[in-house]
Amino acid sequence: MVFDLPLLATASLSAETPAAFENSFLGWLSNSIFVTFLVVGLIVWLVRSCTRKIEVIPSAGQNFLEAVVEGFYGAVEGILGDKMAKKSFGLLASLFIFILISNWFGLIPGVGSIGWGVKDGLFTLKDLEIPLLRPPTADMNMTMALAAVSMTLWFIWTMQATGPVAFIKELFGVKGGMSGPILFLLVPLFLFVGVLEVLSILVRPVSLSLRLYGNIFAGENLLGTMINIGHLFNAPQWLTYVLSCIVPIPFYFMELLVGFLQAMVFTLLIIVYLQLSTTHEEH
Amino acid sequence: MIQEIFTQFGVTLPKFIAQLVLFLIVYFVLNRYAFAPILRILEERRKRIEEGQLNAEKIKKQLAEAELRYQEMLRKANDDAQLLIEESRKNNEAFSKREMDRAVTESSAIVDRARQEIASERTLMVDEVKKEMVSLVIKTTAQVAGKILTPEDQKRLTEEAQKCLG
Repeated sequence: MVFDLPLLATASLSAETPAAFENSFLGWLSNSIFVTFLVVGLIVWLVRSCTRKIEVIPSAGQNFLEAVVEGFYGAVEGILGDKMAKKSFGLLASLFIFILISNWFGLIPGVGSIGWGVKDGLFTLKDLEIPLLRPPTADMNMTMALAAVSMTLWFIWTMQATGPVAFIKELFGVKGGMSGPILFLLVPLFLFVGVLEVLSILVRPVSLSLRLYGNIFAGENLLGTMINIGHLFNAPQWLTYVLSCIVPIPFYFMELLVGFLQAMVFTLLIIVYLQLSTTHEEH
Repeated sequence: MIQEIFTQFGVTLPKFIAQLVLFLIVYFVLNRYAFAPILRILEERRKRIEEGQLNAEKIKKQLAEAELRYQEMLRKANDDAQLLIEESRKNNEAFSKREMDRAVTESSAIVDRARQEIASERTLMVDEVKKEMVSLVIKTTAQVAGKILTPEDQKRLTEEAQKCLG
Protein backbone atom coordinates (compact mmCIF):
# COMPACT_ATOMS: atom_id res chain seq x y z
CA MET A 1 0.00 0.00 0.00
CA VAL A 2 1.49 3.31 -1.03
CA PHE A 3 0.45 6.60 0.48
CA ASP A 4 0.67 9.56 -1.83
CA LEU A 5 -0.48 11.88 0.96
CA PRO A 6 1.95 14.08 2.90
CA LEU A 7 1.65 12.03 6.09
CA LEU A 8 4.51 13.74 7.87
CA ALA A 9 3.79 17.20 9.15
CA THR A 10 6.03 19.71 7.50
CA ALA A 11 7.48 21.45 10.55
CA SER A 12 10.42 23.63 9.73
CA LEU A 13 13.88 22.27 10.54
CA SER A 14 14.86 25.59 12.04
CA ALA A 15 13.34 27.69 14.79
CA GLU A 16 11.28 30.48 13.30
CA THR A 17 11.29 34.18 14.03
CA PRO A 18 8.02 36.11 13.57
CA ALA A 19 8.07 38.23 10.44
CA ALA A 20 7.63 41.43 12.48
CA PHE A 21 10.94 40.79 14.30
CA GLU A 22 12.99 39.54 11.43
CA ASN A 23 14.65 42.75 10.38
CA SER A 24 14.66 44.42 13.78
CA PHE A 25 17.07 44.20 16.71
CA LEU A 26 14.89 41.30 17.96
CA GLY A 27 15.80 39.22 14.95
CA TRP A 28 17.44 36.67 17.22
CA LEU A 29 14.19 36.12 19.19
CA SER A 30 12.95 32.90 17.65
CA ASN A 31 10.00 30.92 18.96
CA SER A 32 12.36 28.43 20.64
CA ILE A 33 14.32 31.21 22.35
CA PHE A 34 11.00 32.60 23.57
CA VAL A 35 10.16 29.18 25.05
CA THR A 36 13.68 29.00 26.53
CA PHE A 37 12.89 32.23 28.38
CA LEU A 38 9.71 30.59 29.72
CA VAL A 39 11.63 27.46 30.73
CA VAL A 40 14.34 29.53 32.45
CA GLY A 41 11.66 31.53 34.25
CA LEU A 42 9.90 28.34 35.33
CA ILE A 43 13.14 26.78 36.61
CA VAL A 44 14.14 29.97 38.47
CA TRP A 45 10.67 30.24 40.03
CA LEU A 46 10.64 26.55 41.03
CA VAL A 47 14.12 26.74 42.53
CA ARG A 48 13.40 29.94 44.43
CA SER A 49 10.10 28.65 45.79
CA CYS A 50 11.67 25.35 46.87
CA THR A 51 14.80 26.85 48.40
CA ARG A 52 13.60 30.22 49.69
CA LYS A 53 14.01 29.09 53.26
CA ILE A 54 16.48 26.23 53.45
CA GLU A 55 16.45 24.54 56.82
CA VAL A 56 17.87 21.41 58.39
CA ILE A 57 14.31 20.17 58.88
CA PRO A 58 12.99 20.58 55.31
CA SER A 59 9.66 21.80 53.96
CA ALA A 60 7.78 19.68 51.37
CA GLY A 61 9.35 21.51 48.39
CA GLN A 62 12.83 21.43 49.87
CA ASN A 63 12.35 17.76 50.72
CA PHE A 64 11.48 16.95 47.11
CA LEU A 65 14.43 18.91 45.75
CA GLU A 66 16.73 17.29 48.31
CA ALA A 67 15.58 13.81 47.31
CA VAL A 68 16.22 14.60 43.62
CA VAL A 69 19.61 16.21 44.30
CA GLU A 70 20.70 13.48 46.70
CA GLY A 71 19.69 10.68 44.35
CA PHE A 72 21.33 12.28 41.34
CA TYR A 73 24.47 13.22 43.28
CA GLY A 74 24.80 9.63 44.54
CA ALA A 75 24.59 8.31 40.98
CA VAL A 76 27.15 10.84 39.67
CA GLU A 77 29.46 10.20 42.62
CA GLY A 78 29.25 6.45 42.03
CA ILE A 79 30.54 6.87 38.46
CA LEU A 80 32.92 9.82 38.68
CA GLY A 81 34.20 9.64 42.25
CA ASP A 82 33.85 12.25 44.96
CA LYS A 83 36.29 14.83 43.59
CA MET A 84 34.93 15.03 40.04
CA ALA A 85 31.31 14.68 41.23
CA LYS A 86 31.69 17.81 43.37
CA LYS A 87 33.04 19.70 40.37
CA SER A 88 30.66 18.50 37.68
CA PHE A 89 27.42 17.84 39.55
CA GLY A 90 26.09 21.37 38.95
CA LEU A 91 26.48 21.09 35.18
CA LEU A 92 25.15 17.54 34.93
CA ALA A 93 22.08 18.18 37.06
CA SER A 94 21.41 21.49 35.27
CA LEU A 95 21.66 19.74 31.90
CA PHE A 96 19.29 16.99 32.98
CA ILE A 97 16.69 19.33 34.52
CA PHE A 98 16.86 21.84 31.68
CA ILE A 99 16.65 19.24 28.89
CA LEU A 100 13.85 17.35 30.66
CA ILE A 101 11.71 20.45 31.19
CA SER A 102 12.41 21.66 27.65
CA ASN A 103 11.51 18.28 26.15
CA TRP A 104 8.30 18.00 28.15
CA PHE A 105 7.41 21.62 27.42
CA GLY A 106 6.88 20.53 23.84
CA LEU A 107 4.05 18.25 24.97
CA ILE A 108 1.95 21.09 26.34
CA PRO A 109 -1.06 21.54 24.04
CA GLY A 110 -0.55 24.59 21.89
CA VAL A 111 3.21 24.23 21.56
CA GLY A 112 3.86 23.82 17.85
CA SER A 113 0.17 24.17 16.99
CA ILE A 114 -0.59 27.83 17.74
CA GLY A 115 1.00 30.51 15.59
CA TRP A 116 0.90 32.37 12.31
CA GLY A 117 -0.07 30.99 8.90
CA VAL A 118 -2.70 30.91 6.18
CA LYS A 119 -6.09 31.60 7.79
CA ASP A 120 -8.81 29.02 7.44
CA GLY A 121 -11.41 30.40 9.84
CA LEU A 122 -11.65 32.77 12.79
CA PHE A 123 -9.23 30.85 15.02
CA THR A 124 -8.01 28.17 12.62
CA LEU A 125 -5.19 28.01 10.12
CA LYS A 126 -5.02 26.11 6.91
CA ASP A 127 -1.27 25.87 7.18
CA LEU A 128 0.75 26.76 10.27
CA GLU A 129 3.85 28.57 9.00
CA ILE A 130 5.37 30.01 12.18
CA PRO A 131 4.44 28.37 15.48
CA LEU A 132 4.39 30.71 18.46
CA LEU A 133 6.07 28.15 20.69
CA ARG A 134 8.72 25.58 19.85
CA PRO A 135 10.53 23.36 22.37
CA PRO A 136 14.07 24.67 22.93
CA THR A 137 15.54 21.23 22.35
CA ALA A 138 13.89 21.13 18.89
CA ASP A 139 16.22 23.96 17.90
CA MET A 140 19.78 23.15 16.81
CA ASN A 141 21.01 26.43 18.32
CA MET A 142 20.04 25.21 21.76
CA THR A 143 21.32 21.65 21.42
CA MET A 144 24.59 22.97 20.02
CA ALA A 145 24.84 25.45 22.89
CA LEU A 146 24.29 22.63 25.38
CA ALA A 147 26.92 20.50 23.66
CA ALA A 148 29.35 23.42 23.49
CA VAL A 149 29.04 24.22 27.21
CA SER A 150 29.32 20.55 28.14
CA MET A 151 32.35 19.80 25.98
CA THR A 152 34.14 23.02 26.98
CA LEU A 153 33.73 22.19 30.65
CA TRP A 154 34.65 18.56 29.92
CA PHE A 155 37.92 19.78 28.37
CA ILE A 156 38.69 22.16 31.27
CA TRP A 157 38.00 19.54 33.95
CA THR A 158 39.94 16.89 32.05
CA MET A 159 42.94 19.21 31.79
CA GLN A 160 42.65 20.04 35.50
CA ALA A 161 42.41 16.37 36.47
CA THR A 162 45.08 14.88 34.21
CA GLY A 163 47.13 17.72 32.75
CA PRO A 164 47.85 18.20 29.02
CA VAL A 165 50.84 15.83 28.91
CA ALA A 166 48.97 12.91 30.48
CA PHE A 167 45.98 13.67 28.25
CA ILE A 168 48.06 13.54 25.07
CA LYS A 169 49.89 10.45 26.36
CA GLU A 170 46.55 8.79 27.00
CA LEU A 171 45.44 9.57 23.45
CA PHE A 172 48.58 8.68 21.53
CA GLY A 173 50.65 6.59 23.93
CA VAL A 174 51.28 2.87 23.49
CA LYS A 175 49.04 1.01 25.89
CA GLY A 176 49.47 -2.41 27.47
CA GLY A 177 52.94 -1.89 29.00
CA MET A 178 54.85 -2.87 25.80
CA SER A 179 58.63 -2.52 25.65
CA GLY A 180 61.50 -3.43 23.37
CA PRO A 181 61.36 -3.64 19.56
CA ILE A 182 57.62 -4.32 19.52
CA LEU A 183 57.11 -0.88 21.03
CA PHE A 184 58.60 0.77 17.91
CA LEU A 185 56.38 -1.33 15.71
CA LEU A 186 53.29 -0.34 17.65
CA VAL A 187 54.00 3.41 17.82
CA PRO A 188 52.53 4.23 14.35
CA LEU A 189 49.49 2.10 15.09
CA PHE A 190 48.78 3.87 18.36
CA LEU A 191 49.42 7.24 16.72
CA PHE A 192 46.73 6.36 14.22
CA VAL A 193 44.43 5.21 17.04
CA GLY A 194 45.12 8.56 18.76
CA VAL A 195 44.07 10.45 15.63
CA LEU A 196 40.85 8.43 15.54
CA GLU A 197 40.35 9.18 19.23
CA VAL A 198 40.78 12.93 18.60
CA LEU A 199 38.29 12.70 15.74
CA SER A 200 35.79 10.92 17.98
CA ILE A 201 36.21 13.67 20.60
CA LEU A 202 35.65 16.34 17.94
CA VAL A 203 32.54 14.56 16.73
CA ARG A 204 31.08 14.31 20.24
CA PRO A 205 29.44 17.78 20.32
CA VAL A 206 27.95 17.16 16.89
CA SER A 207 26.56 13.76 17.86
CA LEU A 208 25.27 15.09 21.19
CA SER A 209 23.46 18.04 19.63
CA LEU A 210 22.11 16.13 16.61
CA ARG A 211 20.84 13.22 18.70
CA LEU A 212 18.87 15.44 21.05
CA TYR A 213 17.62 17.72 18.30
CA GLY A 214 16.66 14.82 16.05
CA ASN A 215 14.69 12.96 18.70
CA ILE A 216 12.74 15.95 19.93
CA PHE A 217 12.14 17.40 16.48
CA ALA A 218 10.97 13.99 15.27
CA GLY A 219 8.66 13.74 18.30
CA GLU A 220 7.18 17.15 17.50
CA ASN A 221 6.58 16.08 13.91
CA LEU A 222 5.11 12.78 14.99
CA LEU A 223 2.65 14.47 17.34
CA GLY A 224 1.82 17.03 14.65
CA THR A 225 1.16 14.24 12.18
CA MET A 226 -1.01 12.35 14.65
CA ILE A 227 -3.01 15.47 15.50
CA ASN A 228 -3.59 16.19 11.80
CA ILE A 229 -4.17 12.61 10.75
CA GLY A 230 -7.86 13.11 9.96
CA HIS A 231 -7.06 16.18 7.91
CA LEU A 232 -4.36 14.34 6.01
CA PHE A 233 -6.78 11.56 5.07
CA ASN A 234 -9.46 14.11 4.10
CA ALA A 235 -11.78 12.75 6.80
CA PRO A 236 -14.99 14.61 7.60
CA GLN A 237 -14.63 17.58 9.94
CA TRP A 238 -16.17 15.87 13.01
CA LEU A 239 -13.96 12.79 12.53
CA THR A 240 -10.89 14.97 12.14
CA TYR A 241 -11.62 16.54 15.56
CA VAL A 242 -12.23 13.17 17.19
CA LEU A 243 -9.10 11.65 15.67
CA SER A 244 -7.00 14.68 16.64
CA CYS A 245 -8.02 14.08 20.26
CA ILE A 246 -7.68 10.30 20.44
CA VAL A 247 -4.86 9.28 18.09
CA PRO A 248 -2.05 11.34 19.71
CA ILE A 249 -2.68 10.01 23.26
CA PRO A 250 -0.35 6.95 23.09
CA PHE A 251 2.25 9.06 21.32
CA TYR A 252 2.11 11.62 24.13
CA PHE A 253 3.09 8.84 26.58
CA MET A 254 5.83 7.73 24.23
CA GLU A 255 7.10 11.30 23.93
CA LEU A 256 7.09 11.65 27.73
CA LEU A 257 9.39 8.64 27.83
CA VAL A 258 11.51 9.89 24.92
CA GLY A 259 11.86 13.29 26.60
CA PHE A 260 13.06 11.68 29.81
CA LEU A 261 15.37 9.24 28.02
CA GLN A 262 16.96 11.93 25.87
CA ALA A 263 17.66 14.07 28.94
CA MET A 264 19.15 11.01 30.61
CA VAL A 265 21.18 9.99 27.54
CA PHE A 266 22.67 13.46 27.06
CA THR A 267 23.64 13.71 30.74
CA LEU A 268 24.93 10.14 30.95
CA LEU A 269 27.10 10.62 27.88
CA ILE A 270 28.77 13.67 29.46
CA ILE A 271 29.29 11.61 32.64
CA VAL A 272 30.83 8.80 30.57
CA TYR A 273 33.10 11.21 28.68
CA LEU A 274 34.26 12.68 32.01
CA GLN A 275 34.75 9.24 33.50
CA LEU A 276 36.79 8.05 30.50
CA SER A 277 39.10 11.03 30.55
CA THR A 278 39.52 11.69 34.26
CA THR A 279 39.56 8.40 36.10
CA HIS A 280 42.99 7.23 34.83
CA GLU A 281 44.88 9.20 37.44
CA GLU A 282 42.78 7.71 40.24
CA HIS A 283 43.80 4.12 39.37
CA MET B 1 28.87 22.87 3.17
CA ILE B 2 28.83 23.47 6.90
CA GLN B 3 27.40 26.90 6.21
CA GLU B 4 24.66 25.29 4.17
CA ILE B 5 23.84 22.81 6.95
CA PHE B 6 23.77 25.60 9.51
CA THR B 7 21.43 27.64 7.28
CA GLN B 8 19.16 24.67 6.79
CA PHE B 9 18.92 24.05 10.53
CA GLY B 10 18.60 27.76 11.29
CA VAL B 11 21.84 27.96 13.24
CA THR B 12 22.97 31.57 13.51
CA LEU B 13 25.47 33.15 15.84
CA PRO B 14 23.00 35.51 17.62
CA LYS B 15 20.53 32.69 18.25
CA PHE B 16 23.29 30.33 19.33
CA ILE B 17 24.67 32.93 21.75
CA ALA B 18 21.17 33.68 23.07
CA GLN B 19 20.55 30.00 23.81
CA LEU B 20 24.03 29.62 25.28
CA VAL B 21 23.51 32.57 27.62
CA LEU B 22 20.07 31.32 28.65
CA PHE B 23 21.43 27.89 29.51
CA LEU B 24 24.34 29.46 31.40
CA ILE B 25 21.78 31.45 33.41
CA VAL B 26 19.98 28.21 34.27
CA TYR B 27 23.32 26.59 35.19
CA PHE B 28 24.27 29.56 37.36
CA VAL B 29 20.88 29.81 39.10
CA LEU B 30 20.58 26.09 39.76
CA ASN B 31 24.17 25.79 40.91
CA ARG B 32 24.07 28.88 43.11
CA TYR B 33 20.56 28.77 44.54
CA ALA B 34 19.60 25.10 44.42
CA PHE B 35 22.44 22.60 44.33
CA ALA B 36 25.03 24.40 46.44
CA PRO B 37 22.69 25.16 49.39
CA ILE B 38 21.05 21.74 49.19
CA LEU B 39 24.36 19.90 49.05
CA ARG B 40 25.54 22.09 51.94
CA ILE B 41 22.44 21.27 53.98
CA LEU B 42 22.78 17.56 53.13
CA GLU B 43 26.41 17.66 54.22
CA GLU B 44 25.44 19.54 57.39
CA ARG B 45 22.72 16.97 58.12
CA ARG B 46 25.14 14.11 57.46
CA LYS B 47 27.64 15.71 59.85
CA ARG B 48 24.95 16.23 62.48
CA ILE B 49 23.85 12.60 62.23
CA GLU B 50 27.47 11.51 62.44
CA GLU B 51 28.03 13.79 65.45
CA GLY B 52 24.82 12.51 67.02
CA GLN B 53 25.97 8.94 66.59
CA LEU B 54 29.39 9.78 67.98
CA ASN B 55 27.78 11.60 70.91
CA ALA B 56 25.46 8.68 71.54
CA GLU B 57 28.47 6.36 71.54
CA LYS B 58 30.33 8.74 73.85
CA ILE B 59 27.36 9.04 76.19
CA LYS B 60 26.96 5.26 76.21
CA LYS B 61 30.64 4.89 77.04
CA GLN B 62 30.43 7.57 79.72
CA LEU B 63 27.34 5.92 81.16
CA ALA B 64 29.14 2.59 81.32
CA GLU B 65 32.13 4.27 82.94
CA ALA B 66 29.86 6.10 85.41
CA GLU B 67 28.12 2.82 86.20
CA LEU B 68 31.49 1.22 86.81
CA ARG B 69 32.61 4.17 88.94
CA TYR B 70 29.34 4.04 90.83
CA GLN B 71 29.75 0.32 91.46
CA GLU B 72 33.34 0.87 92.55
CA MET B 73 32.32 3.71 94.87
CA LEU B 74 29.52 1.61 96.29
CA ARG B 75 31.89 -1.27 96.88
CA LYS B 76 34.45 1.06 98.47
CA ALA B 77 31.76 2.66 100.63
CA ASN B 78 30.64 -0.80 101.73
CA ASP B 79 34.22 -1.76 102.58
CA ASP B 80 34.75 1.52 104.44
CA ALA B 81 31.49 1.05 106.32
CA GLN B 82 32.49 -2.50 107.24
CA LEU B 83 35.86 -1.25 108.44
CA LEU B 84 34.22 1.53 110.45
CA ILE B 85 31.76 -0.89 111.98
CA GLU B 86 34.59 -3.29 112.79
CA GLU B 87 36.69 -0.52 114.21
CA SER B 88 33.86 0.92 116.27
CA ARG B 89 33.01 -2.53 117.47
CA LYS B 90 36.62 -3.02 118.53
CA ASN B 91 36.70 0.44 120.10
CA ASN B 92 33.47 -0.26 121.85
CA GLU B 93 34.78 -3.52 123.24
CA ALA B 94 38.01 -1.89 124.44
CA PHE B 95 36.09 0.99 125.92
CA SER B 96 33.68 -1.37 127.68
CA LYS B 97 36.57 -3.41 129.02
CA ARG B 98 38.40 -0.32 130.15
CA GLU B 99 35.28 1.05 131.77
CA MET B 100 34.58 -2.28 133.39
CA ASP B 101 38.10 -2.49 134.74
CA ARG B 102 37.87 1.05 135.95
CA ALA B 103 34.52 0.33 137.60
CA VAL B 104 35.93 -2.80 139.23
CA THR B 105 38.99 -0.92 140.42
CA GLU B 106 36.90 1.92 141.71
CA SER B 107 34.43 -0.38 143.42
CA SER B 108 37.33 -2.30 145.02
CA ALA B 109 38.77 0.96 146.22
CA ILE B 110 35.37 2.01 147.56
CA VAL B 111 34.98 -1.34 149.33
CA ASP B 112 38.50 -1.10 150.79
CA ARG B 113 37.88 2.45 151.90
CA ALA B 114 34.56 1.42 153.40
CA ARG B 115 36.24 -1.45 155.17
CA GLN B 116 38.91 0.82 156.53
CA GLU B 117 36.31 3.32 157.61
CA ILE B 118 34.27 0.56 159.24
CA ALA B 119 37.38 -0.76 160.97
CA SER B 120 38.35 2.67 162.23
CA GLU B 121 34.77 3.36 163.26
CA ARG B 122 34.70 0.04 165.06
CA THR B 123 37.97 0.82 166.84
CA LEU B 124 36.66 4.20 167.86
CA MET B 125 33.41 2.66 169.05
CA VAL B 126 35.24 -0.08 170.94
CA ASP B 127 37.47 2.55 172.56
CA GLU B 128 34.36 4.60 173.39
CA VAL B 129 32.63 1.53 174.83
CA LYS B 130 35.74 0.70 176.78
CA LYS B 131 35.86 4.22 178.13
CA GLU B 132 32.18 4.05 179.04
CA MET B 133 32.66 0.65 180.63
CA VAL B 134 35.62 1.90 182.69
CA SER B 135 33.60 4.92 183.74
CA LEU B 136 30.69 2.66 184.68
CA VAL B 137 32.97 0.32 186.59
CA ILE B 138 34.34 3.25 188.57
CA LYS B 139 30.90 4.68 189.23
CA THR B 140 29.47 1.31 190.19
CA THR B 141 32.37 0.52 192.44
CA ALA B 142 32.02 3.89 194.15
CA GLN B 143 28.34 3.38 194.72
CA VAL B 144 28.81 -0.19 195.94
CA ALA B 145 31.65 0.70 198.25
CA GLY B 146 29.87 3.84 199.47
CA LYS B 147 32.97 5.91 199.45
CA ILE B 148 34.64 8.39 197.37
CA LEU B 149 37.37 6.77 195.34
CA THR B 150 40.76 8.27 195.38
CA PRO B 151 42.60 9.01 192.22
CA GLU B 152 44.84 5.99 192.95
CA ASP B 153 41.76 3.80 193.31
CA GLN B 154 40.34 5.17 190.15
CA LYS B 155 43.63 4.57 188.32
CA ARG B 156 43.83 1.03 189.59
CA LEU B 157 40.22 0.27 188.80
CA THR B 158 40.64 1.69 185.33
CA GLU B 159 43.69 -0.44 184.72
CA GLU B 160 41.97 -3.54 185.97
CA ALA B 161 38.83 -2.90 183.96
CA GLN B 162 40.91 -2.26 180.86
CA LYS B 163 42.77 -5.46 181.49
CA CYS B 164 39.48 -7.34 181.82
CA LEU B 165 38.06 -5.79 178.61
CA GLY B 166 41.17 -6.78 176.84
